[in-house]
Amino acid sequence: MAVKKIKTIYDVICPFCGTLCDDLEVDIDQTKNTVIEVRNGCQIGVKKYFSSNPSEHRFEKPLIKENGSHKEVSWDEAIDKAAEILVKAKRPLLYGFSSTECEAQSKGVELAELLRGILDNTASVCHGPSILAIQDVGAPTSTLGEYKNRADLVIFWGCNPVHAHPRHLGRYSEFVRGYFRRDGRNDRFIVVVDPRNTHTAQIADLFIQINPNEDYELINTIRALLRGVEIDEKEVSGVPIEDIKKLVEILKTCNFGVLFFGMGITQSLAHHRNIDTAICLVRELNDHTKFLLTPMRGHYNVSGANQVFAWNTGYPYSIDFSRGYPRYNPGEFSSVELLVKDQIDVSLIVASDPASNFPAAAVRNMYKHPLIAIEPHETPTSAFADIILPAAIAGIECEGTAYRMDNVPLRLRKVKEPPEGVLTDKEILEKLIEKVKEKMGA
Amino acid sequence: MAEIKLKLKKQPIFPLEADSITPDNFAGKNIDEIKGLIIYHGKEEEKIGDYFDVSGESSEINDLKIIIEGDLSNIKRIGEKMTSGEIIINGNVGMHVGNQMKGGKILINGNADDWAGAMLKGGELEITGDAGNYIGSAYRGFWQGMENGLIKVKGKVGHESMLWARSSKGAKKFPMLICGAADSLLGIHNHGGTIIVEGDVDRCAGADQAWGTIVIKGKVSRRLPSFKKMGETNEITLPNGDVIKGKFIEYSGDHAVSKETNGRLYIAA
Repeated sequence: MAVKKIKTIYDVICPFCGTLCDDLEVDIDQTKNTVIEVRNGCQIGVKKYFSSNPSEHRFEKPLIKENGSHKEVSWDEAIDKAAEILVKAKRPLLYGFSSTECEAQSKGVELAELLRGILDNTASVCHGPSILAIQDVGAPTSTLGEYKNRADLVIFWGCNPVHAHPRHLGRYSEFVRGYFRRDGRNDRFIVVVDPRNTHTAQIADLFIQINPNEDYELINTIRALLRGVEIDEKEVSGVPIEDIKKLVEILKTCNFGVLFFGMGITQSLAHHRNIDTAICLVRELNDHTKFLLTPMRGHYNVSGANQVFAWNTGYPYSIDFSRGYPRYNPGEFSSVELLVKDQIDVSLIVASDPASNFPAAAVRNMYKHPLIAIEPHETPTSAFADIILPAAIAGIECEGTAYRMDNVPLRLRKVKEPPEGVLTDKEILEKLIEKVKEKMGA
Repeated sequence: MAEIKLKLKKQPIFPLEADSITPDNFAGKNIDEIKGLIIYHGKEEEKIGDYFDVSGESSEINDLKIIIEGDLSNIKRIGEKMTSGEIIINGNVGMHVGNQMKGGKILINGNADDWAGAMLKGGELEITGDAGNYIGSAYRGFWQGMENGLIKVKGKVGHESMLWARSSKGAKKFPMLICGAADSLLGIHNHGGTIIVEGDVDRCAGADQAWGTIVIKGKVSRRLPSFKKMGETNEITLPNGDVIKGKFIEYSGDHAVSKETNGRLYIAA
């Protein structure tokens, strides 16, 4: 019997953002092993599926840099060279992991411990401050389904889901009909707090425009007003005190409120202290009504990276194994600080592109030392890498587990075969571990 | 007083973790034994003798003074958990100097990096230059930071100094920081710590302060709205009994934590 040319796969989980939509339909051309169409996905998620199709940007063979240009080599040679560099390193950095599946992440932890290196994931440049705040004051949180069915007040603080998590609004937080919110959007009151009039702000019921970097003062004022304290000032963070009082009334009188926050407050001044005070606000609001909060995680499995690192080592990111046991201190062992201070001698980047996101000083120092990239595509990081180990794209070309932004684990699906000769992140890390063990034993 | 002199011979490539440099570890050891103590360089164990010239004579811990010369800005954890004796550092020093120390004295004639005197339990830390962030603070996730002791900084301290400081009147423990100037979020989550700033302070001083005393003799760039003006005062009595004279405006707060509070913020009038 002839093979059916087009196969449709239903209920596919989208490996792009932390929303981890689980209702995609993907059409695959089985003869050519390519993605033809993706339905239900948002623009950015669909684009990722098409990026798995053959293109000049896709690596299909391991590459080693020689005299300034990349040369194709065998897997054995590439793994051997990479292991040799890693074993010789005194302070290797293993970074990335947020765009791959949990099984590969746990292999990363094993390799970092073996090498006594530094282990970090992308949380250190996005929601790391949220984690620091949670460690200080806890977090009243819930799953997204709960918000969908119950929340009648939704606050987006310092985030713009219309662009960054396009289907979040439709699936969980704004337009969707829930069990107790039968009328969808009309049953919810949406508040956006942001310095810019974003597209999310334009579809909100209330938009509060605050001065940049002054979130701490505003949340602090809301907390004081909530306690019945009169504020002497006329205006806080560019918001008139009457407007803040109205907001406090809205917060107190809702049935079920939720605060979604993004990098607008984790990466502006006061960083984790913004989240610290936001968590305290949510905790205090529970004296009046039901209120919860959830960070809007970016990479689809950055929550998973925190989970995997934490259950293996006790800490979610910025972990140093140099003394044989894990130690944790963002700011001391986080990748940006280490690179800026030039305290790294080898970097192994797994499924991430720090060269596009890190400060120039950090990237310059990263390029100075040997750089190994486990990466399917050409990126500013892999373009300068000394060794490129091409990987299958997790969630498209291999299975695995990923954690949604509310820490719900979901099983990613394989929709197509990876290009011939390409291994998964987990297999590559396993091979590296085996080779490193062999070299260290010798 | 017996003295041991350490002089830095070469700069390490990666930060050295020298938590073995304490009077507790040096007491009663001869020079060769001290040279053989372990310090960590990256993932490798090396010895004090590899990086320092060691001279002098050791003695009982209470009578021991360690003098370190050189630029130690890449050397971390000097004086960690020390209980007695004295360390004098002539030069800049790296992170975590004197963290969790219980007694004795550290004098730094230079600047200190982040986490100096973190979670101090007693003793005295003096810095003649500037200090980094998190001076006298609690480590990540700890709810009790500096419990007792005194930190004096002549220059400026960084962000989030004296985080989660906690005093105890019953046990007569009064953690205290005296500094020349301070960056943002000074004394955040303060639970009884005393902070005296001779100069100016950046935004959000005393944020989330439950109780405690912060005295600022200069200006504050942006005072938190949740602090309420109580009046003017000419005399401040600190929890340990000391008195500061001068014209100050008295604020109570942080009212974000509770409606009634014993937290006080004094800003020069």
